[in-house]
Amino acid sequence: MNDIHLIQEIERYLDGEMSAPEREAFDVLRRSDSNIDRQVTEHQLLLQQFRANGQRKELLRKMEAIHAQIPAIAKPATPVVKMRSKRTWLNLAAAACIALLTSLGTIAVMQKAAKNSSTAQYEDVRRVLNNIQRSQNALKSDINIIKKAPINPGTFGGTCFAISRSGYMVTNYHVIAGADSIYIQNNKGEAFKAVSVFEDVSSDLAVLRIADSGFRSASLPYSLKQLPILPGEEVFTMGFPRDEIVYGKGYISAKTGFNGDTLAYQVSIQVDPGNSGAPLLDNNGEVIGIITGKQSSSDGIAFAVKSGHLKRLLDELPKDKFSRKDLKQQNQLNGLNRVEQLKKLEEFVYMVKVYN
Amino acid sequence: MNIERDQELLQGLAMNDDKSLETIYLDNFPMVAKMILQNNGSEDDAKDIFQEAMIVLYEKVQEGNFILSSRLKTFLYAVCRRLWLKKLQGNALNGPIYEDLEEPPPVEETLEAQEEKDLLFSKMEASMGKIGEPCKTILEDYYIHRKSMLEIADRFGYTNAENAKNQKYKCLMRLKKLFFAQK
Repeated sequence: MNDIHLIQEIERYLDGEMSAPEREAFDVLRRSDSNIDRQVTEHQLLLQQFRANGQRKELLRKMEAIHAQIPAIAKPATPVVKMRSKRTWLNLAAAACIALLTSLGTIAVMQKAAKNSSTAQYEDVRRVLNNIQRSQNALKSDINIIKKAPINPGTFGGTCFAISRSGYMVTNYHVIAGADSIYIQNNKGEAFKAVSVFEDVSSDLAVLRIADSGFRSASLPYSLKQLPILPGEEVFTMGFPRDEIVYGKGYISAKTGFNGDTLAYQVSIQVDPGNSGAPLLDNNGEVIGIITGKQSSSDGIAFAVKSGHLKRLLDELPKDKFSRKDLKQQNQLNGLNRVEQLKKLEEFVYMVKVYN
Repeated sequence: MNIERDQELLQGLAMNDDKSLETIYLDNFPMVAKMILQNNGSEDDAKDIFQEAMIVLYEKVQEGNFILSSRLKTFLYAVCRRLWLKKLQGNALNGPIYEDLEEPPPVEETLEAQEEKDLLFSKMEASMGKIGEPCKTILEDYYIHRKSMLEIADRFGYTNAENAKNQKYKCLMRLKKLFFAQK
C-alpha cells in the first residue's frame, strides 16, 4: 500500500465511507500495525487543527467587519472658548483677582477667629499610653508567642480597620502623625508592622498598609456606605481605648461635625482616648464613618468623618496598588444580631501603636 | 438577569450565527475599550485584546462544553483584564486593575488551555505558509469550504477530479510532515 493509497483509505475510514467489511478489515489492520494506528490519529489531529485554523481566521475576518462599524472613540473635546476682545479679558481678570483676594482674606480672618474660640473644646481621642498599661503590655507580650511587637508599648495608640484583604487599613491622621514606626495589633495579640501610605490632614484620615506584602485576610464582612445617613440612626463602633477591644453604641446626632464640618457627623456615643480611627457602623453593618474626636467640654459628643469622604480619598490611591473591590463585597453583617456582628467585625479592627 | 439572553447568544455563536457574533461584539467592546484606555492602552490594543478574548470564547463554545458561570459580560471582561495585565507586565501579576464588577470569574485555566491552542494555531499557520500554492488553497477549499473535488479540479485546471484528488492527498501529506516535524 503506497502512501497516497493509505491516506485515502484513512480518510475514507474516518469519514465513514467504508462498507462494513472494509471497516472491519481496516480495524484489524489498525490494531495489528501501530504505525497505521498512529497515522490515523495524526490524520485526525491534523485535520482538526487545520479546520480550527480556518474557523479562527474566518472569525477574525468577521470581527474586522464588525469592528469597522464602531466609530473611533471620541477624544474629550477641547472646550470651545468664545473669544472676547483682549481688553474685556484684562478688565475681567483684574476684577476677578480683586474679588478673590477680598473673599480669601475675609475667609482667613473668619476662620482664624473661629478656630481660636473653639480649638480648646475639640480633643482627639488618641491614647497616651501610661505606665500601668505599659506593664500590662509587658505581661501580655510574655505570653504572646505568635508574633511580637516590640516590648515597648509605644507612645500613642489608636484604632484602625481593614479596607482591603491585602492589608490596607484606615485610621486617623493624628494617630500616626510624626510616627517613626507603626505597629498594629489585633484582638488575638498578633502584631504587624505597618507603614503609612496616604495621609490627608484636612479630613484627619490616613491609610496604612501592613508591611508584609504577603498579608491576606478573609473577605471583609462590611461594606462602605456611600450615602450619608440622617440624625437618629443608631450606630455602633469597636475600638481600642484599652488593650482589649471595646464596643460602644450610640446614634447620629447631627449631620455636621465640629464647627459645622460637613465632612463629618456628630455622634452621640461614648468614646475614649484610643477610639480614634475606629469604624462607625450602622445597624446593617455598613461602615458609615470613622471616629476622629470628641468635644472636650461635654461628654458623649463625638465626631466621625463620613464614609463618603473616605471613599473619595480611596479613589485617589494608586489604582494598581489598592483594590477597591474588597469594600464592595456582599455585606456579611446584615441581619445578624449584634453579638454575631461584633464577633465578625473584631477580626478586622486593629489597635495602632505608634513609636516616635 | 440577562443570563438567558447570554445563553441564546452563545448558542448562536456556537452555530456560527453572524448576528449573535455581532451582538456580542458590539455589546461588549466599549466596556473593554474603556478598561484598556484607562490602563495605558490604545484603541488598537483594545481591539487586539478584545478579539483575542472573543477567540477564546468562540473556541470554547465550539468545543461544546462551555458552561457560563457568570454573565457573559463578566466573563469577557475578566479574560480581557487578564490578557491585558499579561501584556502589560509579562507574567507577573503586580496588582489588580481597577475593578468595578463583581469578583471576576476564574479564567486562569481557560487561558492556559488557550495558550496551547494558540501554539497549535501558529504551528499550523507556519506549516501552511510552507506548503505553498496551489496546495494551500486546494486544502482550504476541500477541508474548510467543503467544495467538491470536481469544483476544485475545475478551478485549478486539472483534467479530472481524480487527478485533483491525488494532488490534494500529496498536499495533505506535505502538510502533515511539516506540522508534525515541528516540536
